[in-house]
Amino acid sequence: MKFDTIIIGGGLAGLTAGIDLSRKGQRCLIVSSGQSALHFFSGSLELCSLDEDPFKAISSLGEDHPYTKIGYDNIIRYSEAVQPWFKEVGIDFVGEHGKNHWRITPLGGFKRAWLTLDEYANIPSDGTMPWKKVALLNIDGFLDFHTSYIAAGLAERGVETMVKGISMPELDRLRENPTEMRSTNIAKTFAGDLIGALAARINEYAKDVDAVLMPAVVGLTGSTDVHRLKEMVVRPLHFLPTLPPSVPGIRIQMMLKNRFQKLGGTYMLGDSVVSGEFENGRLKSICTNNHGAVKFEADNFILATGNFFSKGLTSTVDGVREPIFGLDVDSLEVRAEWYRRNMFEAQPYMNFGVSTDGCLRAMKDRKPVENLYAAGSVLSGCNSLKEGSGAGVAIISALHVSESILKK
Amino acid sequence: MEKNKIDTSFEQCMKCTVCTVYCPVVAVNPNYPGPKQAGPDGERYRLKNPLFYDEALDLCLNCKRCEVACPSNVKIGDIIQSARLKYGNNKPKLRDYILANTDIMGSLATTMAPVVNFTLGLKPVKAVMDGVLAVDHHRTFPKYAGQKFETWFKRHALKKQEAYERKVSYFHGCYANYNHPKLAKDFVKIMNAIGYGVNLLEKEKCCGVALISNGFKDQATRQAELNLGSIRKAVARGEKVLTTSSTCTFTMRDEYEHILGLHNEDVRDSINLATKFIYELVDAGQVKLVFKDDYTRRIAYHTPCHMEKLGWAIYSTSMLKMIPGVDFVMLDSQCCGIAGTYGFKKEHYNDSQKIGQNLFRQIHDYAVDMVATDCETCKWQIEMSAGVTVENPISIIADALDVEATIKANRK
Amino acid sequence: MKEYDVIIVGGGITGAGTARDCAMRGLKTLLIERHDLTAGATGRNHGLLHSGARYAVTDQESAEECIRENMTLRKIARHCVEETDGLFITLPEDDLAFQETFIASCLKAGIRAEAIDPAEAIRLEPSVNKSLIGAVRVPDGAVDPFRLTVANVFDAQLHGADLLTYHEVTSIVKENGRVVGVEVMDAHTKTRKTFRSRIVINAGGIWGHHIAELAGATVNMFPAKGALLIFGHRVNNMVINRCRKPADADILVPGDTICLIGTTSSRLPYDQIDDMKVTPEEVDLLLREGAKLAPELADTRILRAYAGVRPLVAADNDPSGRSISRGIVCLDHETRDGIPGFITITGGKLMTYRLMAEWATDLACKKLGVDKKCQTAEICLPGSEEDARTDRKTAKTYGLGAKAAEGRHGTRSADILVADKKDESLVCECEGVSVAEVNYAIETLQSKNILNLRRRTRLGMGTCQGELCACRAAGLLAKANGCARRSVEDLAAFMNERWKGMFPVAWGETLAEAQFTSWIYEGVCGLDSFVKKEEE
Repeated sequence: MKFDTIIIGGGLAGLTAGIDLSRKGQRCLIVSSGQSALHFFSGSLELCSLDEDPFKAISSLGEDHPYTKIGYDNIIRYSEAVQPWFKEVGIDFVGEHGKNHWRITPLGGFKRAWLTLDEYANIPSDGTMPWKKVALLNIDGFLDFHTSYIAAGLAERGVETMVKGISMPELDRLRENPTEMRSTNIAKTFAGDLIGALAARINEYAKDVDAVLMPAVVGLTGSTDVHRLKEMVVRPLHFLPTLPPSVPGIRIQMMLKNRFQKLGGTYMLGDSVVSGEFENGRLKSICTNNHGAVKFEADNFILATGNFFSKGLTSTVDGVREPIFGLDVDSLEVRAEWYRRNMFEAQPYMNFGVSTDGCLRAMKDRKPVENLYAAGSVLSGCNSLKEGSGAGVAIISALHVSESILKK
Repeated sequence: MEKNKIDTSFEQCMKCTVCTVYCPVVAVNPNYPGPKQAGPDGERYRLKNPLFYDEALDLCLNCKRCEVACPSNVKIGDIIQSARLKYGNNKPKLRDYILANTDIMGSLATTMAPVVNFTLGLKPVKAVMDGVLAVDHHRTFPKYAGQKFETWFKRHALKKQEAYERKVSYFHGCYANYNHPKLAKDFVKIMNAIGYGVNLLEKEKCCGVALISNGFKDQATRQAELNLGSIRKAVARGEKVLTTSSTCTFTMRDEYEHILGLHNEDVRDSINLATKFIYELVDAGQVKLVFKDDYTRRIAYHTPCHMEKLGWAIYSTSMLKMIPGVDFVMLDSQCCGIAGTYGFKKEHYNDSQKIGQNLFRQIHDYAVDMVATDCETCKWQIEMSAGVTVENPISIIADALDVEATIKANRK
Repeated sequence: MKEYDVIIVGGGITGAGTARDCAMRGLKTLLIERHDLTAGATGRNHGLLHSGARYAVTDQESAEECIRENMTLRKIARHCVEETDGLFITLPEDDLAFQETFIASCLKAGIRAEAIDPAEAIRLEPSVNKSLIGAVRVPDGAVDPFRLTVANVFDAQLHGADLLTYHEVTSIVKENGRVVGVEVMDAHTKTRKTFRSRIVINAGGIWGHHIAELAGATVNMFPAKGALLIFGHRVNNMVINRCRKPADADILVPGDTICLIGTTSSRLPYDQIDDMKVTPEEVDLLLREGAKLAPELADTRILRAYAGVRPLVAADNDPSGRSISRGIVCLDHETRDGIPGFITITGGKLMTYRLMAEWATDLACKKLGVDKKCQTAEICLPGSEEDARTDRKTAKTYGLGAKAAEGRHGTRSADILVADKKDESLVCECEGVSVAEVNYAIETLQSKNILNLRRRTRLGMGTCQGELCACRAAGLLAKANGCARRSVEDLAAFMNERWKGMFPVAWGETLAEAQFTSWIYEGVCGLDSFVKKEEE
């Protein structure tokens, strides 16, 4: 089977590249081995959180950093397109291009963010709280969101909170099950007809407050329910992130995938690439687990398989490898050097990834593979946790790789 | 005597909860512990003490959508099915025996098809089935054909096959044999048109999917071994073994090994779905299909759960898209709720219908002439619940095919 | 201020057992621990219910003690014990002739030991190395040291004893040369308090070396470090040992949902006992030797590595430590050093804790003039009493949480109150710990932080090492203690503690899990901004 570009990995990076290429007329295939890390999405995209100005910090990153390889001017250009790009898919992000704002974490902390979903709470970069008094709601029995943390965090910043629990007979069914009172199952319960009833319950507490905050447990399959709920609630309603799974993350995953398919892309979920055929420094075709001897050929390939969690990298007691093609990996040889004893220090293993040349082409046996690009967290040289750059690297590198392919 | 080697893929579970998002049962029935708890979490406890087995695992549909979603390659569905066979209450009901033995039922019923169809449709009979056997009375039973496909094939088609140099073997399965021989005949028609002769397997038994899901492991194993024996003979003759059912294909390729612990790796790649086989020939330019000009239909494709797990919907849909007169619509991949014999059981009927609700609504909204799908039980469920005709892609291709032109195009 | 008869220093199994014994004999008892119960060597061992077979050839006395206590624990601590039996296997590289000596020594010590056919051994324990050439079946088992300690302390409290955790003894109070109490510092408030008693019993394990110094006595103890690995599930259902002279990494013990291989053995400088690291060399050795017992281990996920430190006590006439006693050492400092009111109980092992407690309590009673017999070998621990509710044992109708809790708390699981369905929700999904059980551990078993909860319930001990449950548990603690900020700081400390056990074995799934955990807690939740200087 023949495609223009085959993308391995169906997360944020893979889908971004897939949509971009398909929009420009390419016939693309995405092979995704299970669902992606978007399922744990915080509700905000980070570009670079080291400074209030995301671009200031980007220009000072090391030369092996993917951002440095992509180049400052390119990053500015790609990043300007991000917000409209998502809007076209039907996902509304808010935020200033040149200035990070703050988002509220599930523990009541504040973290820098570049773009935040418009249904989420966000705090301006100077830290001025937009509310004096808020109603902070949770669903009774939902263990993956704790109002006490948030209330403490808000109180430290002078916001008074009124904490209330919401109980509805329709949710009792979920409580019957000792494990399945999860954000996504609550969202499934709330879908459609129940939104009105939920709004009525929220409004009982919304009268004397500036805003209502609640966990993101609405809008699993689309943003219609979110908009309906916001319209019906008498005060501004803002969502806060929960522990996994992430309702808006899953929605974004689904919308991106649908968009890709509508543009003519083929998305194969639950399949993994097992081997590739190389010829004259080029990747010619790949084979997958589900399709046995069938060869999937393409002019270009993008590796967007993620880091250790998504098995883009695997490790054994002896070392780190890229499991599909055996590409060159930037890592450390001595196992003891992979880690720091304090969990919250920068962990060296987080920087491990596939080696690439200046054009983000993957290296194999110290030579770049002419038509195999890497994008997203499989790239070496960045610690997305410490830099606050995970989503940014995924999107920017995907757009960059896509542009390189189209320029050929 | 050695303990069956346990599947330790549960060790790969990262506790990320992704599987729970895609489980169709969790969404409708709180009594089901959910794939994470029933699968990898529960398995650690069952290894400690079998008393931790929970009979609620019977609520699993075996749709494997948890496995498809899992980013860590945990064989969640297999773990649950294996646990049911290993620890479950192994005293299945008479009802389960009847539902599981699709081929015995089939042989009996085909000979008396008019009587059986009439009887199964009668209200008092349905009431007895509901009350005594706990088969839900809302269910429409699949009709049984008057003549088995095998009988027809031997009488009318067998001789003609000798004319073809290239041959494939056909595993028709229970449905095409007893309920809907037209599908099997359509398959023979297409294969002959593109220049392939069709052989039946020396012996064929039901693939065993219903036996496995109803806890009849020993019988399933015996039938699987018999089928694998026949398949090996066909492969030795140089023939691929084709099917027209995604579930039979999936069961023989994957469940034989994963659930029954049988070795099938020598023939696994030779067991193929007809649409995939034909697509590959067309894609490689070895075969040409010519379609009628006047065939126009708006057709939606429904991805059966086991097709999703196989990852092969791409072949069936690509085939349908080849038909010039087809206005193709892809439905979101979601479970229809029937899951083989699951939806026939009284205790599951309501869940079954709730699971399929979104799908039925989507089909209705698209206002299609017909739904295409590769699974026979999905066909029954959708026809009953969405009130629309459902056909196997093979039948659609056969109907749209200009047989004479195709034969001509493939003549050397 | 309340005057105690006895103050026991050290909340490990020895201190817990001694507190129970003292309280049962009617002494006014206070148990003081500087961290949490089981925070020292007690929480860092194999959890092996020794039959004594391991010591039979080299140390008959220890072997005899072990088998006696083994039988006693099966009776009084049923809910802490798994009666799995054990195998001593001979591999081709071992000397099969040793088996005969081994069996003879076992039988002499009163340990049932029966040579079985290798094929029979494989049938009994399918995970065992199939190349074995000999096997002996002995009454080994598994014991949960956390459960055992908590049950002892709980019973001591039921008999009127007081417990102070997170209080460190800073000095031993003496009057006229006689020990009359202790001064302690509250780890949370950093305030000092004094408690008076007629006797102070030093049950501080290796840390007892320091406690003795505070009293002005010298007890020469040498720290011996033993490293172990925990695997993700139960590979074996019987204990597997090597039938040879005791060596490194030759015992594989099943325990609850997991199994453990250990131990290495090395001397450690005293100043490192609070900061032990498991080295890559130790991990490699444990894996290599472990796979010889059960080859499956080579491909099994490792959850964590940890090391415990046991006190080796030098004989009084040999301060160099070359002549080490592995037996129980009960020192009457009045006769030994001229310090009345002070007793040290040390040496010994988890298996003989009850006997150690009996010796120490006998001595204390003698000094206090109390004539009461020890009953700890006859009376069952709370949770192990006869269970009238036989109906629950076979019922398959109640959920994993309730079943798992029954395994952990025995008959006392009846006290875990479920008011409504919300209480049945699982906090820890790997180990089946419900909201109700967490609340029980907070209220009845005095859990103040997540680490306490882990030791009392297994919360966070499963596959994901707290990834899913720690935040939920912190939320429930915040509700109970009314301080959200403290709970979040506690959460950070807990996750860091989990990581310390994970990183020495962080490759494969364990590394992927660690990365996922960091994404969630640091990336999504921003836990890094709540890190406080750790307490433990």
